[in-house]
Amino acid sequence: MQERRRADLLAKRQKLEEMREMRKAREASRTNARQEEASNSSPRKGMKDIDDIIDSIRSPRGSSHGSTTMPGTPTLRPGESSPSGRASRASERSDRISVGYEGRSVNGSNLPPSGRVSRGSDTGSDTLGRGKFISPSEPAPDPPETAPISSGNLTEPTPISQVPERNESILPPLPKKPKVEFYNREVQTSTYETVPVGPTEAEIRQRIQAEVEAARVARERELEEENNQMAKEIEDEIRDLTEEERASIFSAPEFFEFFEQSSKIMQRALNDPYDYTRDYRIGTDGTSVDSEGKRVRELCAFHDERWTKNRSITDIDWSPKYPELTAASYNKNPTAINDPDGIVAIWNMHLVDRPEFVFHSQSDVLSVSFSPFHPNLVFGGTYSGQILLWDTRAKHLPILKSPLSAAGHTYPVYAMQMVGTQNAHNLITSSTDGMVCSWLVDMLAQPQETLELVHAGHNKTNEVAITTFDFPDNETATFWVGTEEGNVYQANRYDRAGSKAGLNQHDIYKGHSGPVTGLHFHPLVGPVDFSDIFLTSSVDWTVKLWKAKSIAKPSISVNIIPPIYSFEDADDYVYDVKWHPNHPAVFGSVDGSGRFDLWNLNIDTEVPIITTSVGSGRAINKLAWDRKDGRRAALGCSDGKLYIFDVGDVGVPRESEWVDLQKTMAGILSGGAGQSGLPGEQESRSLNSSVNGR
Amino acid sequence: PSEIESTLNHISSHRNVRGVVVLSRDGPIVRHTGAAYKGEHGRKYAGVIKKIVDACKHGFDETIERGDDLKISANTTKKHEIMISPGVISLLARV
Repeated sequence: MQERRRADLLAKRQKLEEMREMRKAREASRTNARQEEASNSSPRKGMKDIDDIIDSIRSPRGSSHGSTTMPGTPTLRPGESSPSGRASRASERSDRISVGYEGRSVNGSNLPPSGRVSRGSDTGSDTLGRGKFISPSEPAPDPPETAPISSGNLTEPTPISQVPERNESILPPLPKKPKVEFYNREVQTSTYETVPVGPTEAEIRQRIQAEVEAARVARERELEEENNQMAKEIEDEIRDLTEEERASIFSAPEFFEFFEQSSKIMQRALNDPYDYTRDYRIGTDGTSVDSEGKRVRELCAFHDERWTKNRSITDIDWSPKYPELTAASYNKNPTAINDPDGIVAIWNMHLVDRPEFVFHSQSDVLSVSFSPFHPNLVFGGTYSGQILLWDTRAKHLPILKSPLSAAGHTYPVYAMQMVGTQNAHNLITSSTDGMVCSWLVDMLAQPQETLELVHAGHNKTNEVAITTFDFPDNETATFWVGTEEGNVYQANRYDRAGSKAGLNQHDIYKGHSGPVTGLHFHPLVGPVDFSDIFLTSSVDWTVKLWKAKSIAKPSISVNIIPPIYSFEDADDYVYDVKWHPNHPAVFGSVDGSGRFDLWNLNIDTEVPIITTSVGSGRAINKLAWDRKDGRRAALGCSDGKLYIFDVGDVGVPRESEWVDLQKTMAGILSGGAGQSGLPGEQESRSLNSSVNGR
Repeated sequence: PSEIESTLNHISSHRNVRGVVVLSRDGPIVRHTGAAYKGEHGRKYAGVIKKIVDACKHGFDETIERGDDLKISANTTKKHEIMISPGVISLLARV
């Protein structure tokens, strides 16, 4: 028996070699077959082959083809085997051998189905010996034969009389040899499983042989995999794209999209200065970080050759959801007539070279605003009076547009703001003909309500040419507008007790001698409420501070309200002024000579604390503080560049700032309302200094 | 397509970038910039990258979690860094 086992092992080894060779040959033929044959033709051919093979099998084997089903289970009677059983067993002994083996095992199991006899046959040709046993009889037809038979095994167990049908069912898989091979393995394992029925001696022997076999099978498999890999590598290296293939790849839209995304990711990664593999143990040359709190430095300047050249920035907004995103709207590029007249570019702080998104518009976009309640939506107001809505998930055209009809605006929309809460919010827009419209986000077909602001007392026309407006924090029904003539008016959206909807005819905030370019209410943050204070900037080179009259007490007669203070430091048009979102006494202003002024009322009301010259000296149109903590300010220049500045600690308020501001305000108020009167100024200055110098 | 070209050039001209290779899923090179990737040498890179991506796919999809696939991989070696961004069709890699 030992010798027999040794002989079996030898035979097994030989068998493995042969199988390997055959497999290679088969693979070669398979690749040929794949290239040549259409799937339709092969079944025909295969059918014929299979018939031949089946006949050849049948004759030596007798009618025990039913036992092919036996492989399904060790203990199940023939015919009860289930594919699932086979599958599970296959997973148990996943590394079984190849087709050839399996063919042999089939042959082996084709012998009389009774346990003893089959075992006999099996023992006669063990797992190894099986191979050897059968191989002399049919080495050649093995490959094609095993294929159909094995797959036949995998299909429902049926008696041999149904073999022809089974063959047909297997025909389709014939071209896909690899799959077949896998099934062969399964069958192989199952055939093996039939063996253990019987005396323990045989079992032990088989177990040992199984282990050996397993090892060999593993080796086989590795070899096979290596072969596959090598074949693939050869394929890879050889192949080189033709021009057509290249063109086809380029023209596929998925390629473009994929490329856009990937390249953005790459660029962002390239931009990130932080080296996360940095080893802090190594002594670094002291890279000094300037910790000067009072300095203002430029972080980046967003500029894109393709899109922002020759355009000016008309409005800026920071994204409420992603603090690194800024939206900037641009007007028309006179040199590029085919480009869209207005664009909105969304810039990412981490990706300086190109905008994250570029949205197009038919006419110049004059105002832009992220929707605070929908992270993907961006609104824009245009020169033609249209309101556009873009979605960052969509492409570059607006997803919604308001019509160019008399229902909406027909004049340029210079200002817009979103008011309300998550559930009930409106977009309020104003145009230069005095129309103020309120829109629902998903219904831009017509405004929800329109309000025409007229001022009867005006000397020439009723119309109020609105250049800018603002809502005080916490207010949604009443707002203040700045006009082209320099006055500021208060207006109500709805009728309320004591005052009608529309412009408040009686209170005129008169102070500016030129169009009002910016109006901003004090943000409601901190312990003290300054939300009735607002700033205005104007073309008359001044920034003025006002105290809004309380709406609870409407006036009944014409009432001219002067500003409480005027900042005269600028020597060019002041284009925008904005309070700092966190620090109650700090605000910034930008003017037409490229100057960015930072003021702190608690320190000095006469001059800005920091003045920076931005860019090339071109006018800066807009200023926007970033929403989160006000560390950064975005400045939109008329040369199309969007500058981001870091203001450092200037914007960080101390605890006492609010109280200080109260004192300052008191000083200002009592110092006299006159902004030009020298005595008033001196007084206020002395008061301020006394307040500050304590 | 010009935009793709300009973007590729832009990335390639970045200070740290040696080159960019855009590959097709099966291996052959679609586009490359930078001196490091011409001809045979480039093909070697292509093969290697493909193997890396496949290994990752095998590892993630079959072993760690089904259906997971590589989104972006930045392999920093002692001397270089290679970034791979696989997509449906192509891969983008730079060193």
